[in-house]
Amino acid sequence: MRKGLQFLLILSLVVTLIAGCGGSSSQPTQQSGKEGTTSTATKDTIIIALQGEPSTLDPQFADDGNMRAVTDNVFERLLELDGKTLEPINGLATDIKSIDDVTWQLTLREGVKFHNGDPFTAEDAVFSIKRVTDPAYKSQIAGNFNTIKDAKVIDDKTIQIVTDGPDPILPKRLTRLDIVDKKYIESNPDKVATEPIGTGPYKVTKWNRGVDITIERNEDYWGNKPQIKGATYRFIQESSTRLSALKAGEIDLAVNMLPEYVSELPAYKTSDGIEFTFIRFNTLRGPMKSKLMRQAACYAVDKKALADSLYLGYANVAQGQLAKPGYFGYNDEIKAYPYDPEKAKALLKEAGYNGEVIELVSERGRWLKDGELTEAVAGMLTDAGFNIKLTFLSWQEWLDTLFNLDKAPDMMFSSNGNELFDMDRFYQALIKTGGPQSAYSNPEVDKMIDAARSEMDTEKRLQLYKDLAKIVYEDPFGLPLLNLKDIYGMSPNLEWEPRQDSRITVFEMKLK
Amino acid sequence: MKRYIIVRLLYTIVVILGVSILVFVVTHMVGNPVNTMLPLQATEAERAALRHQLGLDKPLFEQLTTFLGSMVKLDFGISWWQQIPALGIVINKMPATFMLVSAAMILSIVVAIPLGILAAYKPGTFLDRFLTSASLIGLCLPPFWLGLMLVLFFAVRLGWFFTSGYGTLRHLILPTITLAVVPMGHLAQIVRFSMAEQLNAQYAITARAKGASETAVLFGHALKNAATSIVTMGGSDFGRLLAGETAAVEVVFGWPGFGTLIVDTIGRQDFPLLQAEVFFVAVVICLINLIVDISYAYLDPRIKY
Repeated sequence: MRKGLQFLLILSLVVTLIAGCGGSSSQPTQQSGKEGTTSTATKDTIIIALQGEPSTLDPQFADDGNMRAVTDNVFERLLELDGKTLEPINGLATDIKSIDDVTWQLTLREGVKFHNGDPFTAEDAVFSIKRVTDPAYKSQIAGNFNTIKDAKVIDDKTIQIVTDGPDPILPKRLTRLDIVDKKYIESNPDKVATEPIGTGPYKVTKWNRGVDITIERNEDYWGNKPQIKGATYRFIQESSTRLSALKAGEIDLAVNMLPEYVSELPAYKTSDGIEFTFIRFNTLRGPMKSKLMRQAACYAVDKKALADSLYLGYANVAQGQLAKPGYFGYNDEIKAYPYDPEKAKALLKEAGYNGEVIELVSERGRWLKDGELTEAVAGMLTDAGFNIKLTFLSWQEWLDTLFNLDKAPDMMFSSNGNELFDMDRFYQALIKTGGPQSAYSNPEVDKMIDAARSEMDTEKRLQLYKDLAKIVYEDPFGLPLLNLKDIYGMSPNLEWEPRQDSRITVFEMKLK
Repeated sequence: MKRYIIVRLLYTIVVILGVSILVFVVTHMVGNPVNTMLPLQATEAERAALRHQLGLDKPLFEQLTTFLGSMVKLDFGISWWQQIPALGIVINKMPATFMLVSAAMILSIVVAIPLGILAAYKPGTFLDRFLTSASLIGLCLPPFWLGLMLVLFFAVRLGWFFTSGYGTLRHLILPTITLAVVPMGHLAQIVRFSMAEQLNAQYAITARAKGASETAVLFGHALKNAATSIVTMGGSDFGRLLAGETAAVEVVFGWPGFGTLIVDTIGRQDFPLLQAEVFFVAVVICLINLIVDISYAYLDPRIKY
């Protein structure tokens, strides 16, 4: 019996060891960097780790960052955004001019072909515009183009777009409108989400659901040939796992690295992110109705300390507005309220604050360290004399509270991402009376917002926004906090400058 | 036996209906998928339009009956997130999780059962005490942390395995070990406990007195009698793992399975997909419970259905 038992024990241990000691005999059906990184001489493809899998590869349908990491390389737009200046530049259109207040005329680029050989024509351009704005199509990004009333073909290389009222932002809107192949979509409606056909420098060759997406260089591309021959996107939700993969040499680029990882990254680059965090004040009811109270709150918070301690310096202090240079409407004369707790206390006294409870509502987990940020802010406000009651809501409850003016708390943590880089959206959403997230109301300001929205003269428009920025700074709508930086982990032989619009542009990358 | 199975299947249908209705009602009353799907800057008009398109502005009872009507045809609608049929998505993700869970259960069984038997055979020895503490520690280790530690050591430092991903045996090893730790702990404890109980029973003492070898007592009698408890524990773990308890491990290792699907679905409030998942989980758990219960008839001759 001893022998029987010993045999059993040895057997189970042997099996365990076999199971545990790796399978070099395994068939490498899914290639991964491990097999490739040892021979760097011929490496011309890269592996990118995204935070999640795209929901679809139909670029007109969803507002999905994981999708755009792929489709921004596969599709193109009539106008593109310059990665540094955030200004519209030529794309599939070589010229744009405003014919009258509501009509724009674009000249289209010649000699462009889709990946399947179909030529790019004015028909495709008009079709793309009509498709994304069609209510039956239910695009989640249709809101970006809600000023477009009509689009028509004028001739082979000219189209016109008609807007509903003057729309100075139209060029920027077009930088988010991907151009699709009319013939392909009409004859293959079921392949649109999984086998995309665009005009871009890369084409999608394979999508293994749940595993990876592969793109390859389009050798017939009309523009500059990119250096990198192909890329594979993997989906790794957990940021520490992306870090491990980078360190083990399995991937070449990892998005969204945490500030704490920077010292461990083989190489990294940063760029300013799109999100601006802030505390919104309820200016219509309750203790924060008082301007002095709101200004006191602005002086009470040390934003630089927040950036340094929570984000290890990988965040910029927002300069009194939810914008930075490059955003249309940015006022460079405004600076963030300085950290002055004594002044805050004095203002509180002047306002006659009697210590009543002030509610600060936040959520946790949607943005990096949002919970910690709100807690730190609550601490600083309390030190300055505010009686803060901090509450955390679930994401759903938080969304509900944000959009419901009746539920608006005295102070609410939020974040604003302005993807058109134009301040109109900010004012419409947060400042205008009745705006979806607005707890502010000033009829003079409302008039200025409407005027700026339809002002076609760029100089005049800019001045209107600068004036607006000053007003909502001195009569604070809220307390702008930080603009977080995006941190990209890279392998040492990848060369790439991240863009200010957070697009992952494989065609701008190079391997050393 | 046949009658028993049919009655159990009827109960299964009741459970599936009950769970589906409960989840449907709660999510529709409490959730707000429209806010989750649209960007923060969307206007109230856009929200109302989407609500209407998704049929969320109809009365709850009407939505429920429409849903039940489709569910009996196994039509869960189109996922709001991925725009393809919901049940198809669930079925696509199951093989990966099934592979991982099966591997983990096999590993647990192969390690825990022999060791549990050995510990029960030699109670009070170092092996016994070591096994008890080790299994307890295993149960307390958060899988998330353990997975990350294994990755750091074996994948990053030693380079033996991949840090994440799916497709080959080498991808499977670390997630399997991480996932197996908890079932291993459960099994080791139940095996040891049941076996010890059996080995000290009256019939075992009698058998030894009659001259039966220790092996015969162990495998011929004790193990068989302990089998029902072991199978219950194993079946329970297997069912719960398949039903989504793999989520933490799958997220750490980027394993594209059912666990990550559930986490994503709930975050996105994709109701059709959620209902498909709930249905699937109910079916899996009920089936596994049924199989375990039927196995009692074969393991314990006293049980007759």
